[in-house]
Amino acid sequence: MTAVPKRIHLSRNEVLNIEWADGFISRISISKLRNGCPCASCREENEKPSDPFRVLKPTEMEPLRLIKMDPVGRYGYKITWSDGHDSGIFSLEYLREL
Amino acid sequence: MSSPQQLPKIELPGIRNILAVASGKGGVGKSTVSVNLAVALQMLGNKVGLLDADIYGPSIPLMLGIHGQVDQGTTPLPIERHGLKVMSMGFLVPPSKAIVWRGPMIHRALTQFLTQLDWGQLDYLVIDLPPGTGDAQLTLTQTVPLTASVVVTTPQEVSLIDARKGLEMFREVRVPVLGIIENMSYFIADDGKRYEPFRSGGGKQLANDCSVPFLAEIPIDSNVAICGDEGFPIVAKHPDTKAGQAFGVLAKIICHELDSIPTNIPLPGLEIT
Repeated sequence: MTAVPKRIHLSRNEVLNIEWADGFISRISISKLRNGCPCASCREENEKPSDPFRVLKPTEMEPLRLIKMDPVGRYGYKITWSDGHDSGIFSLEYLREL
Repeated sequence: MSSPQQLPKIELPGIRNILAVASGKGGVGKSTVSVNLAVALQMLGNKVGLLDADIYGPSIPLMLGIHGQVDQGTTPLPIERHGLKVMSMGFLVPPSKAIVWRGPMIHRALTQFLTQLDWGQLDYLVIDLPPGTGDAQLTLTQTVPLTASVVVTTPQEVSLIDARKGLEMFREVRVPVLGIIENMSYFIADDGKRYEPFRSGGGKQLANDCSVPFLAEIPIDSNVAICGDEGFPIVAKHPDTKAGQAFGVLAKIICHELDSIPTNIPLPGLEIT
């Protein structure tokens, strides 16, 4: 079973650092985190070829920020982003692999 | 696709331990186990609550001798019976009425039962989950600080398959599983011999396969059903029967196991530097 995080901190809105109970430390860039959103609509989007003519939403024009990261039960976190997206639940196992 | 509904966490600081009783399948006697376990815990001197989380088919009221709808104007909820504080959807609707609700309403009902009733200070809250791995289970595991769970099965393979799913669900959401309770394990006939009409060893095998403890064999005893229908749980009415004793011993094991779980540390929140 995956270790449990002891501490999670976001530094300078660029890197999410997770200190796991077994000593391992994850450092995940927020762009990797956002692109790795496991929710069904993101997974579907990622499978499509990117559309260079897609009109960006106003929230996408600003630099991406991680607004909130709330625990879900004892098995994962829900992340809320500045682009309004918040439907991804990142399991601990998934965060560990990123 | 729309966002999943918000699932605010429920805080229940007055309740020391919250134990979910699950089964993969219906009909294995999970509610009977929940009721008798709750009463047995209370008989050990603990303050115990019992929440019937089966919104669609609440059976706890009958098993505790509580009939009909409760007039909330005169009777405060949760109801006190056999030393327990009890709450069930069965107190709010007549038995003949079917509840036809979708997930979010189940979530709201269970949340209200937990947060808007005065449970007081409890040592144990036993939650009788409905069978399966659906909305009620998801709500509870995601929003309630469950201390641990137990899975009830009968010895037969067909119930073991479903019990395994219940176990896996708890694993997925990281709720500790204290172990397996095998109900309807055997009965002792008038000739003094042990008979196993639903086969045997299934619960132990499941426990082995899933690396969880095997907690108890509860025997078949017609008194269990009679007591259930009469609303007087067997562990209180006939504590010296094999079934009564089995529940008594089970309660002691559960107390010990729950006390051994390190205080539930929630996941850390995000620090921003």
